[in-house]
Amino acid sequence: METMSLLMHGFAVALTPESIMFAIIGAILGTLIGALPGLGPANGVAILIPLAFSLGLSPTSSLILLTSVYAGAMYGGRISSILLNIPGDEPAMMTCLDGYPMALKGKAAEALAISAIASFIGSFIATIGLVILAPILSKFALKFGPAEYFALFALAFATLGGVTGKNQFKTVMAASIGLMISTVGIDISTGVQRYTFNTLELFEGVDFIIAIVGLFAISELFFFLERHAGDGLKQVAINKLKLTARDVLHVLPTSIRGGILGFVAGVLPGAGASLGSFISYSLEKKVSDKGEFGTGDPRGVAAPEAGNNGAASGALVPMLTLGVPGSGTTAVLLAMLISLNISPGPMLFTHNPDLVWGVIAAMFVGNLVLLLLNIPMVGIFVKLLSVPPKYLMPVVTLIASVGIYSVSHSPTDLYFMVAFGVMGYVLRKVGIPLVPVILGLLLGPEMEKSLRHTLVLSDGDWSALFSSGLSIGLWSVAVLGLVLPLILGPVIRAKMRKSKDAVKDV
Amino acid sequence: MRINDRVFGMLMLVLAVAYGWEATQFPIPFGGQESVGPETFPILLSVILAISSVYMMVKPDQDEKWSPLPMLIELLVVVLSILLFAWAIEPIGFIPAATFVVCFLSWRMGASFVRSLTTGVITSLVIFFLFNNVLELALPLGLLEL
Repeated sequence: METMSLLMHGFAVALTPESIMFAIIGAILGTLIGALPGLGPANGVAILIPLAFSLGLSPTSSLILLTSVYAGAMYGGRISSILLNIPGDEPAMMTCLDGYPMALKGKAAEALAISAIASFIGSFIATIGLVILAPILSKFALKFGPAEYFALFALAFATLGGVTGKNQFKTVMAASIGLMISTVGIDISTGVQRYTFNTLELFEGVDFIIAIVGLFAISELFFFLERHAGDGLKQVAINKLKLTARDVLHVLPTSIRGGILGFVAGVLPGAGASLGSFISYSLEKKVSDKGEFGTGDPRGVAAPEAGNNGAASGALVPMLTLGVPGSGTTAVLLAMLISLNISPGPMLFTHNPDLVWGVIAAMFVGNLVLLLLNIPMVGIFVKLLSVPPKYLMPVVTLIASVGIYSVSHSPTDLYFMVAFGVMGYVLRKVGIPLVPVILGLLLGPEMEKSLRHTLVLSDGDWSALFSSGLSIGLWSVAVLGLVLPLILGPVIRAKMRKSKDAVKDV
Repeated sequence: MRINDRVFGMLMLVLAVAYGWEATQFPIPFGGQESVGPETFPILLSVILAISSVYMMVKPDQDEKWSPLPMLIELLVVVLSILLFAWAIEPIGFIPAATFVVCFLSWRMGASFVRSLTTGVITSLVIFFLFNNVLELALPLGLLEL
């Protein structure tokens, strides 16, 4: 009951005109960002952080804005899956399987509408899950000491590659590069300068927002240039929508199942949205397929969409309660919180109840806004999707740079941004994932602090890291997270590819 | 070819050693040596990076193809153009700098010159007015400030 009253209080925050306005702006921007090929949700949120920051928005407003962008991007991702057969991001891959065939059969509008409804149901279920699970988890997390936190951070890195990760050592390498960058600057507890080379700009360390925009957005620009992808791609024409209540009822059970599965996958470390949509699709195929799946069955569109939106909301659970994000985009949201001077983690729920519950309530509002926006206005988004990247990418780059510049009015920040862009390009070329680098940058200071606390308390005895049952448990999950993908990864990836190839033959 | 990972692993190994060595050179903090100091965490990191870079050299993945040299030079020119933009914002002013960078980038991405110039002029003006008047974040006028 306590949760209910807190949630009601949250709605009071989320239903102020200001919050509703930010939710609407965020939803529109997010859908656009998700729909544009090459601009994933993490990118989009990263570009908007400096803007929210330099506008001096209150923490609650910024977070409402950015979570709506996040939710919107998840909706938007499906548009390019259905119309272009190109997933906007990895989780949207499964939506191609039945979405694109549906579009080819002249049912693009129906596919878009059904996927919007399924996305709504998925997010809605997962947000309810978040309301129930988050307070419980945050109470439990109060038991964590520094040693447990250190183990938890290690777990976050170990599972980041996910079950579908390719090369575990590259994830580890990426994480250590990120952590190393985070050690640059004046050490907080002793005042010793580390790796500053006596450069004034480095004394305060590297600003992770600059790093994020550089690594994601600027390196993406380089890839676009390299691939000569400036002209964009041909898309299937969109027809007039003919959707009956029966069609909606037909996909309702599918969406509910998908949403629940997605939520579970999102909460679990290392599973994430890709696995969420994959599991939902496969299960739905087992349960209800009579040979129509893969040829444009509406249920095949609904299941993965509900799954990945469920997972997206589910991924907020570990981010908000433990301060440990499970995906690139939630990592970027965490960056937002840290730069607003809010430390996520169990204390967040006791110290900033207005913020947390406001944001959760805003997710309900944002989802409703998204559903209302997406069915009548999908045509507009589709039109924008046909703006060729050769005009769009330069504009996006400019907006990203202006955002960075306006934070501290210093060109040096822009030089750093470009440097990170080049670094991101090289890292992606050698197959080193960027998300662990970002996560390392973000979690570095906290991780070092918990290591220090542990070692100071035990007077330098490293075995203190493994002393409690809880920390041993966390360490074993971390080890599993590193080892399991070596065994399971190839199998699951082969399966995902097989189902994708099967569609191409149609 | 599996040369990428070998070379990159080598570079990272050098970085790990240099980084770890630098950590041992930190001055002793005020208040004397403790069991854990500013160097503990960096040393731990350098060990982890060293292990993973050795693994990368021993078991490299298949290479992703690098672009041919002309493309790499082109990318370098693009990088320089963005740096030039960053430098020019304050002395020259936001509008000309942004017009230049957007125009240059879209031209390089394959738009015709006239169209990229139009895109550049329009977006820089729109963004300038949006930031200065609506969002109230002042962007420098530079030379236009007369």
